[in-house]
Amino acid sequence: MSATQLGDVTPVAVAPPNLERRDLSRHPALQLGLPVLFAAAVLLLWEFLCRAYAVPEVILPTPSAIYARIISAWPFLVQHAVPTGTEAAIGFLLATVLGIALAVLLSYSRWAYAALYPNVIFFQLIPKIALAPLFIVWLGIGSPSRLAFSMFIAFFPVVIATLTGLNATPPDMLRLCKALTARSWQVFLSVRFPYALPHIFSGLKIAVTFAIIGVIVGEFITAQAGLGYLILFASSQAETSLIMASIAMLCVVGLVLYGAVAGLERLILRKYGH
Amino acid sequence: MISLRGVRKTYASPAGPIEAVAGVSVDIAEGEFVSILGPSGCGKSTLLMMLAGLENITAGSITIAGQPMVGPRRDAGLVFQDATLLPWLSALDNVLFPIKMMRLPREKYVARAEELLHSVGLGDFMEKRPRELSGGMRQRVALCRSLVHTPSIMLMDEPFSALDAITRDEMALVLLDLWARHRKTGIFITHSIREAVLLSDRVLVMTKRPAVVVADVKIPFARPRDESVQDSPEFTAIVARLRGMIEHSIKVAA
Repeated sequence: MSATQLGDVTPVAVAPPNLERRDLSRHPALQLGLPVLFAAAVLLLWEFLCRAYAVPEVILPTPSAIYARIISAWPFLVQHAVPTGTEAAIGFLLATVLGIALAVLLSYSRWAYAALYPNVIFFQLIPKIALAPLFIVWLGIGSPSRLAFSMFIAFFPVVIATLTGLNATPPDMLRLCKALTARSWQVFLSVRFPYALPHIFSGLKIAVTFAIIGVIVGEFITAQAGLGYLILFASSQAETSLIMASIAMLCVVGLVLYGAVAGLERLILRKYGH
Repeated sequence: MISLRGVRKTYASPAGPIEAVAGVSVDIAEGEFVSILGPSGCGKSTLLMMLAGLENITAGSITIAGQPMVGPRRDAGLVFQDATLLPWLSALDNVLFPIKMMRLPREKYVARAEELLHSVGLGDFMEKRPRELSGGMRQRVALCRSLVHTPSIMLMDEPFSALDAITRDEMALVLLDLWARHRKTGIFITHSIREAVLLSDRVLVMTKRPAVVVADVKIPFARPRDESVQDSPEFTAIVARLRGMIEHSIKVAA
């Protein structure tokens, strides 16, 4: 062994890291395949148990019976899904516009914040479903009361998320803007709002599911049309497979609306994500 | 010329007023590069924020070119510890950000911004987003951004202290070169003695809270300088002298 002197450079052989072992659960095919396989397994088990124990269809129809019902009632289901989906979408859009507007007001006015924010939180604490009948009393049994209720229920997550987002700008960035004598509208448009976008979208994804809940609750009470009405009607007829078929349709409506928001998020965060 | 006369800063707190800066009086000539050296949390940053017009002065006065300081001034360029770039803008657009915020015509400054990026070795990275750049590259973009609107003063608040040691040494040389080209009045806050000596015409040593200037040391090396300055015995001697002053001031405070 030779002595190493100060300043000598000894080349060191570096073993290549083992990159071969890859985590299989991250494979794209499995990411889509695994949840589908799991759901299929649950449906199969459901089918099997219902048959094995001869569960009456009124209590729990088999997945195959529900599928048959979806096929037979398809035009009917679509006809009711349209008002539910449309009203949820409009309720969600109203909640988005008003929620962002209120959050902007709260973040720019100390007075508005001091006066309104504690009340916003207080309202958040009320189980909002309990207020649904009031909307019927005020706005009648038509579309306006369902839209108003859907908006009301979807509005809070938008406000809270936007408010959090608007406060997410690094303080030094705001100092820089101030030092450059930027106007507050410039800081809002060029800095604070773009910084808030990832937060806003996480709020919107919650809000879109809330908006659907709002419409369904409205339909339960006003009972004229829509999937909520269909569920209530089917349950009065003890048509459990139709209830299940309506719920499946509701899932489709939910997926479409959520997918639209998530798609928009992807598009916008490709630019503004950080 | 920047003149500070008896500048004080006191913050209100539940336990009574806290004095962050206690009576600083200094003159800084135009085109001079001055480092403010001191331990962390000694009120150096507060002093810099007052120079940027972002903090009120509790007592005393700051005048720049004879004009009393009243608020943010457009002729100052700021650099922070973190690069604070906008993640969705390219390096070039980040450099041009002050132009947008100051509502100046962008097209008049694009060439200057590109030239600044070229001069710090980022000519091939102008369209890259901050997340595609290394920490040192991001801080170079921030340096260019502080110069794009042709300010007369550069205010730098520990701009390299979030970087690793090797990048940090490299960045000091980038700044040395950039400053040699532009010759702005520079006020540079740091807790690295070597960095301060390498870059500055003068080093002010500050004590811990409340901050006062305990020493004002002239750095005699001729300009333009390069990294070889650090190898001279004189450099080592000044560094040792400054270290002694800082250690002494910490002992006195404790």
